[in-house]
Amino acid sequence: MGPVTVTIGKKGDTEPPPPRASWHLRANAIVVAWIALAIAAAVSPGVLPAPRWLVIHVFLLGAVTTAIVIWSEHFAAALLRVGAPERRWSITRLATLNAATVAVLYGVAVGPWPVAAAGAAAVVGVVVWHATVLAGMLKRALPGPFGHVIGWYLAAAGALAVGGALGGLLAAHVGNGPMYERLHAAHAETNLFGWVALTVLGTLFTLWPTVLRARLSPLTRRCSRLALRLAVAGLGLMLPSLLLGLRWVAVAGLAVYLAAAAVALTPLAETLRRRRPHTGAAWTLGAGVAWFGIALITDLVLVAIRTADDLPAALEPLLPLVLAGFAAQVLLGSLMHLLPAVLGGGPARFKQNAALLERGWPYRLAAANLGVPLLSLPVPEPLGLLGWALVLAPAVAFVALAVTALLLARHPQGRVSPAPLGVVVGCLLTAAAVAVAMSGGAGSARLDVVPGAQRTVEVTLAAMRVRPAVVNAPSGARLTLRVTNADAQRHDLRLSTGDRTPMLAPGETAVLKLAPLAGPVEGACTVAGHKAAGMTMRIVPAPAAASAESSYAGHSQHMGHAGMDLSGTAGTGQPSIARPEATALDPGAPMSAGWTPYDATLKPAAGGKEHRVEIRVKETDLEVAPGVRRRMWTFDGSVPGPTLRGRVGDVFVVTFVNDGTIGHGIDFHAGAVAPDGPMRTIDPGQRLTYRFRADRAGAWLYHCSTMPMSLHIANGMYGAVVIDPPDLPTVDREFVLVQGELYLGRPDQDDLGSRILEGRPDGWMFNGTAAGYDHAPLTAEAGERVRIWVVAGGPGTGTAFHVVGVPFDTVYKEGAYLLKRGDPGGAQVLDLAPAQGGFAELVFPEPGHYPFVDHTMPRAEAGAHGLFAVSAP
Amino acid sequence: MTWWSVIRFLHVLGAALWVGGQLAVSLILLPLARRLLDAERRAAVLSAVGRRFGLFTVTAFLPLQLVTGVAMAAHKGVTWTSLAQPGYGRILAAKLLLFCAVMLTAGLHGWASGTGRPAAARALATAALVGSLGVVLLATALPGT
Ligand SMILES: [Cu+2]
Repeated sequence: MGPVTVTIGKKGDTEPPPPRASWHLRANAIVVAWIALAIAAAVSPGVLPAPRWLVIHVFLLGAVTTAIVIWSEHFAAALLRVGAPERRWSITRLATLNAATVAVLYGVAVGPWPVAAAGAAAVVGVVVWHATVLAGMLKRALPGPFGHVIGWYLAAAGALAVGGALGGLLAAHVGNGPMYERLHAAHAETNLFGWVALTVLGTLFTLWPTVLRARLSPLTRRCSRLALRLAVAGLGLMLPSLLLGLRWVAVAGLAVYLAAAAVALTPLAETLRRRRPHTGAAWTLGAGVAWFGIALITDLVLVAIRTADDLPAALEPLLPLVLAGFAAQVLLGSLMHLLPAVLGGGPARFKQNAALLERGWPYRLAAANLGVPLLSLPVPEPLGLLGWALVLAPAVAFVALAVTALLLARHPQGRVSPAPLGVVVGCLLTAAAVAVAMSGGAGSARLDVVPGAQRTVEVTLAAMRVRPAVVNAPSGARLTLRVTNADAQRHDLRLSTGDRTPMLAPGETAVLKLAPLAGPVEGACTVAGHKAAGMTMRIVPAPAAASAESSYAGHSQHMGHAGMDLSGTAGTGQPSIARPEATALDPGAPMSAGWTPYDATLKPAAGGKEHRVEIRVKETDLEVAPGVRRRMWTFDGSVPGPTLRGRVGDVFVVTFVNDGTIGHGIDFHAGAVAPDGPMRTIDPGQRLTYRFRADRAGAWLYHCSTMPMSLHIANGMYGAVVIDPPDLPTVDREFVLVQGELYLGRPDQDDLGSRILEGRPDGWMFNGTAAGYDHAPLTAEAGERVRIWVVAGGPGTGTAFHVVGVPFDTVYKEGAYLLKRGDPGGAQVLDLAPAQGGFAELVFPEPGHYPFVDHTMPRAEAGAHGLFAVSAP
Repeated sequence: MTWWSVIRFLHVLGAALWVGGQLAVSLILLPLARRLLDAERRAAVLSAVGRRFGLFTVTAFLPLQLVTGVAMAAHKGVTWTSLAQPGYGRILAAKLLLFCAVMLTAGLHGWASGTGRPAAARALATAALVGSLGVVLLATALPGT
């Protein structure tokens, strides 16, 4: 006999659905609701801060994890022939899991990170509990033919415990730069190929023959045991090596895992040889498994050719394969097969429900599997959108059919109960309205007006910018500009056509009706200095639009690739966000989703007299200003490099590895050594050990020692070493801010050197991002003593560090106190020449937002600006 | 504190009364009526409540919301074309559309309960309630003035 025991109450149940079915019904309604939410998240881009993250986690953590917990428990009970675990504990687990999922989603998307971290911990806790229950069932059961499946579930739960914990660390912003990337890669691979894939493989041993209505392959048990061992070994090899950045060990682990998958799929293939799939469920499941294989091989190749540190970015094209191809199809295929049994109501109703859920399955299957490659391959934009439509439409169809079936199940006569129907209708109405409300992005820097009669353009004036800054419109278009001043000060807009708005107070709006567009129109704010600060706009007629684009490209000779790299969308076929002028850094623009600030928090020096660190040269794409990404030369993947801290007399042993493409060196100002040996330039692939004893206290610079140093420093190669003065009092919070200049363009651009020599930076940055801490303010509480270490990275300019609103009561500069706590005087600026360092202390008197700036105002306005968000104690 | 805050207050108050009234009826009154009253009395009480609520809607709520809403829109410089623009205009448009749908559903509910279709009436009432929560959601998403 085939393992029909897997399904429940399917044969000859004429009595009304037993309580078990109704519990399963509700539990699976949750899964269907999560799928619907995932679809909603996928079609409403830009609504929330992290839309892509949200889609992935609503689907995998909400829908897939809930389904795994429900069904693995059910299968375990059915296969082991032991009673189901106590219902109320199952319900508790499910409720906790869902609450924890909501906490993770909320915590990462909007809330404070501890909510997300606590949610991740709760998810891990629930799954561990779930695994304990399964293990208990296995212990109680008599030896049977299906015990091997439980091993897969336990291994999967173990993987989630690790992967979920890594997710919690990520949510808590543990790790910076490369460490973050490695955590990220390990988190993704462990959860996908551990938690999800191990559960799926284990389940398929019995589910696949059931779906095919075929007998279990005799190979099953032996293959299962061998495959599980291999899979666990593979994952065990892969996870630590991803964390440690040992690429080839990770590749070996993946290869072992691939072998495990091949062994596990052998009995399934054998079954398939005997019995062709003939239902929608079977085909969908089969397609899901096929994409699993493709995703696994792609993953192996990507890990082999990319370093661990840019792995998460490299794995992007893998996501559609795993999410839409594998996980979604396996989930939907399984539900298509399992839901009719859960819905109950006797054999006639079973058939009816099965037919309902499979309605139109060949089209759904074809659409989904055409959509997956469109999503993962670099196709031009309209095809990408088509891919989304093809993938989402079958999912929507499934949700609609499943909801209908679930609603019908409540009423055996086939009548839908009114209240839930009303809720569904109301929710659909609301969802449609929200979709309308959120459609169309607001405030992008460029607007393309499609040919047509009239068009009103919303123009906002704020943060020394006009948005959109470029409007491309067909010749002859009659534009109406609705100009709103969204700033805290007065602005106006005057166009070269002579049209102008009155001076607008904050919040005021004026409407300009323009004559049919004949030629390019320039616009600017007339308040003194605002035009120079970047408050300009252009309206470009369509025939001219192309040439404007090319003249812009010509402009890029000077700008380099900056103009292209800015939007991060070059080559994807999406319209790039036009930068109207070379000087148009826009500190007020939003940072890209997924950007994490350099952690300015300075931790106390680690204990011990000797500190061992490894610093690797890396070429890393970083967001150096809002919306502006640029390849940087970095120490360890971040700008500034890692901050080292110790006490007077401590020894630092730095292993310096060049993973870049040209020669670099390193120079620690904090030590006293003959430069000849340790500061030499090493070639790519080489390493050197730099050992220095920090005999003197201070905030020290370290930087690349290769000529031309100005270029290497301007490209990001600097960092700070903090050596505490003896008897340094502890304070409530310590931050480190390393100021540097920002030059746009590629690191090896022809004119970069001359721009550096002429001292014409495009902006200034604290800790590697211009105006970054405007978007991710540093936090403190009123009444707390805050110490801010500042180092001027240069290469050409120092800093006049100032905190708006609070004088310093302590200033330490270049090894000496200029001002001590208790002195009657105060200080307003910590002035540092290039490469100097020091610290200042202050106490925030009351809650509020306190900007910190380089009080050399042009630099502050060009990015040397950030915020302290001070809350009540 | 200007006259506009008073008008805004009236607008929000009207919405609170209407949505709150519906929530109170369906979450408190209905379950209690089902438990405490026999079928005949229940029908009488509920239809009386429904009629009174409908009367309040038509005579007080709708005029108040329309007058205050249109006044605020005019004050904010909302034009027909701007309703189609992304951002403020489109959120407002979506809110208005949803509001119309909710009013239509509520009207149909009155008709269904008047013509002895309890199941349809219940479904429509629930839809109107959920939809009006959606209106409140969109109203809170509108950038403040
Ligand atoms: Cu260098």
